[in-house]
Amino acid sequence: MDSLTRFWTAQEVYIMKVFLPIILGFLVIFIGLLAISVLSFWWRHYRLWFLGKEENRSDQRATRLKTLLAVTFGHFRFWKELYPGTMHFLIFWGAILIFLGKIVRLFSYPVGLTNPPQNIFKYASFVSEIGGLLVIIGGCMAVYRRYIVKPSRLETKPTNTLIYSWGAVLLLTGYFVKGYRIALIGSGVVPDWLSWAPVSYFISRFFLILPNEPLNELLVWHRVLIHALPAFLFFAYVFITRTPLQHFFLSPINVYFRNLKPKGVLAPIPNFEEAETFGVKEVSELTWKQLLDLEACTNCGRCQDVCPAHLSQKPLSPRRMTQNLKDHLRREGPKLLSTPPDQHQPEAIMEKTVGEDELWACTACMACEEACPVYVEQIIRNIDLRRYLVLVETKYSSEVRLTLKNLEKSNNPWGASRGTRAEWAKDLGVKNFAEVENPEFLFWVGCVGSFDARNQKVATSMVKILRASGISFGILGNNEGCCGDPARRIGNEYLFQTMAEANIELLKQSGVKKILTLCPHCFHTLKNEYPQFGGEFQVIHHTQFLTELISSGKLKPTKPLNKVITYHDSCYLGRANQIYEPPRKILNSIPGLKLVEMERHHQRSFCCGAGGGRMWMEEHIGTRINQMRTDQAIETKAELIGTACPYCLTMLFDGIKEKGKAETMAAYDLSELVEKSI
Amino acid sequence: MESSLRPVAIIVEVIVLMGVIYSLFLGVKLSAFDFGLEEKYQRFIDWVFMIVGCIALVFFVAHLFSFYPRISL
Repeated sequence: MDSLTRFWTAQEVYIMKVFLPIILGFLVIFIGLLAISVLSFWWRHYRLWFLGKEENRSDQRATRLKTLLAVTFGHFRFWKELYPGTMHFLIFWGAILIFLGKIVRLFSYPVGLTNPPQNIFKYASFVSEIGGLLVIIGGCMAVYRRYIVKPSRLETKPTNTLIYSWGAVLLLTGYFVKGYRIALIGSGVVPDWLSWAPVSYFISRFFLILPNEPLNELLVWHRVLIHALPAFLFFAYVFITRTPLQHFFLSPINVYFRNLKPKGVLAPIPNFEEAETFGVKEVSELTWKQLLDLEACTNCGRCQDVCPAHLSQKPLSPRRMTQNLKDHLRREGPKLLSTPPDQHQPEAIMEKTVGEDELWACTACMACEEACPVYVEQIIRNIDLRRYLVLVETKYSSEVRLTLKNLEKSNNPWGASRGTRAEWAKDLGVKNFAEVENPEFLFWVGCVGSFDARNQKVATSMVKILRASGISFGILGNNEGCCGDPARRIGNEYLFQTMAEANIELLKQSGVKKILTLCPHCFHTLKNEYPQFGGEFQVIHHTQFLTELISSGKLKPTKPLNKVITYHDSCYLGRANQIYEPPRKILNSIPGLKLVEMERHHQRSFCCGAGGGRMWMEEHIGTRINQMRTDQAIETKAELIGTACPYCLTMLFDGIKEKGKAETMAAYDLSELVEKSI
Repeated sequence: MESSLRPVAIIVEVIVLMGVIYSLFLGVKLSAFDFGLEEKYQRFIDWVFMIVGCIALVFFVAHLFSFYPRISL
C-alpha cells in the first residue's frame, strides 16, 4: 500500500467513526426539522398572506421566472449600490459554494469517491473553502458597514447581531475541524491538502495536538460536534422563527410575484355602486401580494435613502411604514384568523400604525419601488390607504377638499371656468378637433398647460412646432376636462372614474385615435389607466413626438442656444414609462446646448415634489422638495434646467426664484427650447 | 513539548466557544420572544443567560487549561 493510499485509509477512520454517525444523526433530525419548517411557514406566513384579498399574479410565468433567476443569482438590482451589492453577492455566493461543496462531499463517501479522493471530491473541498472565505470577506464588509459606518437607513436589532455572530462561529468551527485533521498528520502532510484546502491548511499550522491517536480522534469528535450542533440549531432558528434571514425564501417569492404592469398604474375599485367600503382600513383589505410585500421587506432602507419625502424631513419613511405594517399584520393577523368573520374587530391601520402626515407626504414618485431589490410595491398600497381616508372617512386637508371640489365642479383643479380653458389658444387660431379635416393627432393640452400662465407658453411652443412640421392636429378646447390624475392620486377613485368615463366617451364620440400629450401625468393616465374603462387610444408624449420629428428631418433645430443645460427626469415620464432617452436626444440635437447630468438622473431621478396630488397641497413640514431638486440642479452649474412636465416646470421655476437664482438660471420645457432653435 | 503558544491558542478557543454560547443563548431568547413570550421577562432571561454564560466560561477555561493539547507541529 503506497503512502498516499495509507494516508487516505487512515482518514477513513475519521469518516467512519466521527463524521458519519454525526451526519447520519443530523440527517434524520433534519427531516424532522424540514417538516416543522413547512408547518411553520404555513402557520406563521402563508395563512397570514391569504387573509388578504385575491389578486392574479400568476400570468407570464416565463418572465417572472427570468426575473427571479436574474435577481437571485445575478443580484440584478443589488448592484445599484456597489458596496452593499458586493457585500451581499460575496455572502450569497459564498454560502452557495459552501453548501454545494458539503453536499458533494456528503454523498461522495457512499459512492467510493473518497479513498483515494477523486477530483470531484477535491474540487468540492476547494469550493467549500473558497465559499467560506467569500462569506468571511462579505461578512466583515457587512459588520464594518453596520457597526462602524452605521448608515442612517440601517436599523440594527439584536437579531442582526445574532446572525453575524452565529455565522462567524460556524465558519471558524468549520475550518477548525479540517484544520485539526490536517494538523494531526504533522510534518508529513499530503500536498493535496494545501492545494484543496488552503484556508484550513493555513489554520492547521497554528494547532497544537494531543499525544496519541484515540485522544486526537476524541478531539476531532468534539470539534465536529461544536460545528454541527450550532449549524443545525442555526437552520432551526432560520426556518422556524421570523428572523430577517427568512428573506432568503420570502424575497424570491416576492420577486416572482412582482408587478409586471407599468409602475404607478392603480387598479380601479370594482362594482362601485355595490361596494360596502372603499380603500383599505384594516389589514385584511390589502391583497395577499401586499401582505407578502410586508414580509418580504428586508429592512435594507434603500427606499428610505431615495424617498424625497424622507430626505426633506417629512414624517414618511417607506422602510419604516412597511416594517410597521408588517408588525401590524403579525399582531392583528393571528387575531383575525382565530375569530369568526362576524366577530372580527381588527385595529384600523390609520389609527396607530400609519400617521396621516406620513401618508399624505408621499409624492407617488416610485423612487422607493425602483430602489427596492426585492420589488416591494408601496405606491398602490399608499393610495389604497388614501382611498379609505378620502372616500369613507372624508379625512383630508382643506387644500385637498378645495381641489376635489374644483375638479368636480369645474373639471380642473383650480376651479377656473370651463369656458376659459381654451383661452390660451384664442390668438393662435388653433382649431377644434372636430373642425380639422383628417387630423393626425388630438393635442391634449392638460389643465396646467391650459390654465397656468407659465405653462401656456409651453402649449404655445408646441402649437408652433406642430405647424412648422406640417402636422394636422386639433384640440378639444373647452370640452377638454382634467384627465383625473390628481383625483386618483389623492384617493378619490369615484371622482376619477367619473371623469375618466366622461373623457373616454367624448374622445370616442370625437373619433380620436391618436393623442399627443404635453404632460406626463396625462400621458400616463390616458395611456396606461384609461384602458381599464374601455379607453384604448394611441398616446404619445410630446418628447417622443419631437424626437420622431427631429429623427425624420421634419424638424431641424438650427439656431444655437449656447447654454449649459441639465435635464430633470420627470417621475411619470421616466420611472413610470421608461422614457429617458428621447428628451436627451432632443437636447443633443439642439446646437450649442451642452448637457450635464445631475447626480440623480434617469431611474434615480429626484421628484420635484408635485406628484401624488401634492401639486395641490402645501408643504408644511421640513424642507421644500422642489428647493432640494433645484439645489441639485444648481450643483451642476448649469444655466438651464430642461424638463418635459408642466408640474416639474412649475416646481423648478418656483425653486429657482426661491433660491434667488433667477438671474443666472432658468427652467424651460424642451418644446420651448426646440421652438427657440428652429 | 509544550508550545509557548498554548495560552494564546486556549484564549482563541475560549472566544470561539463563548461565541457559540452567546449565539445559542441569544437565539433561544429571540426565539422565545418571537413565539410570544412577553417583553417583561427580558431582564430575567438576560440575567439567567449571563449567569449561565459565566459558569460556562469558567468551565471552558478550566477544561481547556487542563486538557488542551500541548504538542506543537
